[in-house]
Amino acid sequence: MKYLPLILRNLLRNKLRSLLTLVAIAFAISLVCILRTMPAGLNALLEHAGSNTRISVHNEAGLVYPLPYSYLRRVKAVPGVVAAASWTWYGGAFEEEKGVTFPNFAVEPDALGRVWEDWKVSPKALAAFRRYRDGALVGRQTLRKYGWKVGDLVTLKGTLFPGELRFRIVGEIPVERLPTFFFQREYLDQTLQAQGSGLDWTGMIWARVDDPSKVAGVMAQIDQMFRNSPAETASETEKSYFRNFFGMLQGFVTVILIVTALVALTIVFIAANTASMSVRERFREIAILKAIGFRRRVVFGMLLVEATTLATLGGVAGAGASLALTDLMRRGAGGATDPALGPLAGFVVTNAILVEGIFLALAIGIVAGVIPSFGAARRSVAATMREVF
Amino acid sequence: MIELRDVSRVFRRAADEVHALEHITLHLERGRFSALMGPSGSGKSTLLNLIAGLDRPSSGSVKVAGTRLNDLSDDALAAFRARHLGFVFQFFNLIPVLDARRNVELPLLLTHLGRKEREERARTALRVVGVEERADHSPATLSGGEQQRVAIARAIVSDPEIVVADEPTGDLDAKSAAEVLSLLRELAERFGKTVVMVTHDPRSEGFVDATFHLDKGVLIDEAASTESPREAHS
Repeated sequence: MKYLPLILRNLLRNKLRSLLTLVAIAFAISLVCILRTMPAGLNALLEHAGSNTRISVHNEAGLVYPLPYSYLRRVKAVPGVVAAASWTWYGGAFEEEKGVTFPNFAVEPDALGRVWEDWKVSPKALAAFRRYRDGALVGRQTLRKYGWKVGDLVTLKGTLFPGELRFRIVGEIPVERLPTFFFQREYLDQTLQAQGSGLDWTGMIWARVDDPSKVAGVMAQIDQMFRNSPAETASETEKSYFRNFFGMLQGFVTVILIVTALVALTIVFIAANTASMSVRERFREIAILKAIGFRRRVVFGMLLVEATTLATLGGVAGAGASLALTDLMRRGAGGATDPALGPLAGFVVTNAILVEGIFLALAIGIVAGVIPSFGAARRSVAATMREVF
Repeated sequence: MIELRDVSRVFRRAADEVHALEHITLHLERGRFSALMGPSGSGKSTLLNLIAGLDRPSSGSVKVAGTRLNDLSDDALAAFRARHLGFVFQFFNLIPVLDARRNVELPLLLTHLGRKEREERARTALRVVGVEERADHSPATLSGGEQQRVAIARAIVSDPEIVVADEPTGDLDAKSAAEVLSLLRELAERFGKTVVMVTHDPRSEGFVDATFHLDKGVLIDEAASTESPREAHS
């Protein structure tokens, strides 16, 4: 404690340099803390998004490979399946220069309300969707984003299919954060037939099973049904589907984590450079302290505490910033207690993450400070005096 | 108090050997103010470093305050310096981020004294050297003479038996230099400190009890002051 005034005053010796180093460390730690929320956040997303009785049937070779459209009829016929719908990615762009800004799929209008009955689409909207060949049901998020309302006409330019399709919005899907845009498969099929082709395939099939205990059997039966066919299937629950989908994201998350680790390493070098500069410009003073009788371990300890104090302060600032940022994100999503918050509630900087962030900063301080501090502490007083006096 | 026997110091730089000191035998008595003089490169600072326990001889024996320094570890030497020695340097070398009082307190951080007692002793030391009213000033706001007085206060605050000074007047005007030399003289005379000073300053000969001349690492002679400084400055 008695050395504290000297340590603190040395920290404030070059205020701008200390501040910049602190900000760099704070930035890195906040980045790490936010990224550390991702695994729990993705899990929360899965819990929120998935259903246990809805299953997806897609090509075993992967999601990008299609299935014959005839499969839909056979899936519907499997005992236990109460409804099934095909999903065909249209890839329509509303604002051509921005590309596809929301997912849009062709589906069977009769099946949508029964496969996704938990969306609670109004009977009136479902009826209108069935009635109008060019009708579209749109998720609340996209409606809000573009300020659309029922009755509006919207044109999407195909990025996967040629030409444009004009839709009339006939209803809203009342799910807060759902961006999806659905339209009649028949509309797309007829348009393509007019162009000389047609739509005899689908991207995937969604089916709802009447009883959760039958799901495993239904999936096995479906996959067995298409075994040894040109397009074998892989069925999974919606929860599992999203898990696999986000599993693909895991690779991306891993890349982000590697980049974050590299950022942290860079910050170590920055902090080490600061510590080195700070020590180098004080060789004379350090020599004086040692001449007076300060032992090597005291000098080493003071310099190391100086480096770790700066890094820890940066860590506390960074962890605090990550907390504030995620809190802001949740508030932006509708408030922490609003059920509409949905999956964003999962991206929470927990106490454990805060502690990890601060300890990481402490470790950065130690790693960055140990070499220059050790070098300065073991440097011979007489040699320093010969050099600098 | 300080006894060097056949001391040599050789520095190795790449393939070369530099003989900084050769076969120095020297005896400095307690309570005397001695000067080491000589041209640049004569080895006087190296000799002072050996006396102060900042360096070790290549051969020979260095005994200070009854302790043979050759065999002490770095930490033991640091403890020895803290207990027995005070340092005054040419460029004052105060810590710029600390005020005068806190600079003077530095050696006391190595003791078990409490904060209040450290502060009181620091103020006393500043009073002895005549700059107590500057206690709360940072070094940058002090004149060269005042800074050197603060440095002397730092050197004596832990009441060491020996004060070593490396060119203490080298960066001062004539008036400040005379004041500093008087102060060092007083340390020896009034407080019984053994003061060893490296200097180029010929004026110092009027203040010291003995002057040792070195050239090319060899002790040439010892000259006692013709007029006793004790009488001259009494």
